Amino acid sequence: MSEGVIHDIGYRHYDGARLGSAYGTRALFVFTLRGIFGLGRPARSKVMPFFLVTVMLLPAVVSIVVMTLMNETAMTYTSMPTIMQAVPAIFLASQAPTAVAPDLRYKVLPLYLSRPVGVTQYVLAKYAAMVLALFLLMAVPLVLMFVGELLVDMPDEPLRTQQFAAGLFTSLVLAVLLAGVGLLLASLTPRRGLGVASVIAVYMLCLAISGALVGTFESVGRTTATEWAWLINPFFLVDAVRVWLFGGEVASGGTYPPGPGPALIVIALIAFTLGALFLRYRKAAAR
Amino acid sequence: MNTVVAGITFRAMLGRRRIVLLILLPVFLIGMAFALRLLGDADQATAVSLLQAFSIGTMLPLLGLIAGTGVIAPEIDDGTIIHLLSKPISRPVIAQTKFLVAATMLVLFAAIPTYAAAWILIRGEAGIALGFALGATVAGFAYAAVFLLLGVVTKHAVAIGVVYALIWEGLIGTFVPGARKFSIQQWGQTIADQLTDVPFLKSDVAIGFAVPALVIVTVGAVVLAGMRLRSFSLTGDE
Repeated sequence: MSEGVIHDIGYRHYDGARLGSAYGTRALFVFTLRGIFGLGRPARSKVMPFFLVTVMLLPAVVSIVVMTLMNETAMTYTSMPTIMQAVPAIFLASQAPTAVAPDLRYKVLPLYLSRPVGVTQYVLAKYAAMVLALFLLMAVPLVLMFVGELLVDMPDEPLRTQQFAAGLFTSLVLAVLLAGVGLLLASLTPRRGLGVASVIAVYMLCLAISGALVGTFESVGRTTATEWAWLINPFFLVDAVRVWLFGGEVASGGTYPPGPGPALIVIALIAFTLGALFLRYRKAAAR
Repeated sequence: MNTVVAGITFRAMLGRRRIVLLILLPVFLIGMAFALRLLGDADQATAVSLLQAFSIGTMLPLLGLIAGTGVIAPEIDDGTIIHLLSKPISRPVIAQTKFLVAATMLVLFAAIPTYAAAWILIRGEAGIALGFALGATVAGFAYAAVFLLLGVVTKHAVAIGVVYALIWEGLIGTFVPGARKFSIQQWGQTIADQLTDVPFLKSDVAIGFAVPALVIVTVGAVVLAGMRLRSFSLTGDE
């Protein structure tokens, strides 16, 4: 064995502040969040997210107009995320791959991990960015609608503060659940197009299976089975949790199984997707 | 039609994980048909609603998207399309071959399972099985052509295709009846409606509009895809 010596060939040393892993994680989080909305990328990456944000805002605007002109409430805060469910689903499908696929495809993960950012921080930063992006997509229209309601101040209608809070809760739980599922599916393939297709396919499969089973069970009169069949669709699953915690009308128009069952399913799903995501990245990092 | 290109495309489509996506939906459709049969609910009304909502409404657009963009978009994405384009094969022929592969996939994974599901439910009653299978076939051709064109034109083909299938055909089509006139799945339903004689199947589009529309869209999209490939330039991703 030869004696290895690192020669000091006179380069200047870095003696500034070492910003550490928290700073790196935060930077990755902000970078991912901006990337999800196409900020800092060319204009054609901005088209899709901002188109979907606009579509998401339309019902809130319509609702404010109705409140102003006709003095009545047009839409409930709690049903908004479920009525518009196709939009968050497409947003997740089109943007989750942009958050994870390039790093896998160009194999730059080792470059990240050679810095103070570890696998855990990397996954958490990506996950947090996706959660926040989805939450913003669903919650901003609700906030807009609530501000509209405050400003219009309808004389006959009481302010729906509790319902607004329930709507925000639904958005948050949906964001936490969907972000995990979307990132997990998208991280399985380094190809963006395939990632988009697999996320949307899983959503449409849940939508179609839930719809078909509900229709069938209803026509043969199996009430309990119908209640559980609604929950195959993740949006109604979270809606069921909201109904259990906050009460209020059921957004699907049917009934959900009573008790904490749906909430436990949501917690189990979140734990599973996060666990699988960590395992996936532990494996991807090893290569 | 170039058999070598077709063979390579087939292998690329069937040999990867993408096949899981292609198989999942038809398997579920046939599973549902069996379940309904066993529950004793298999009448014409259930068959029509299952085929309408699941087969033509969900499965066909999704498979059309996966097959139509899948035959060309991944190659453009990773740049290997350059090897294909540098061969002395006319670009329109490449587009036509890719279209034929996608169309065949849709017959295999959408139209035949549709026929099978209908046959499991109600055998050959009232021409429902044949009608929906044919409707799924022609609508599948149109989807394959349109999504192939999208795959050549833009790198965001899958996302745009999903927006068309979910928001235009799904969300807007339910609220604005006029939008249904420009929906491929409605045209497919019109064909199915023509071939079946059940009173509760109502199509929104006249056959005189649906058939020319299907032909124009399919042929037009394949020709445009060929023309676009002729002046194709590879650009970097973002």
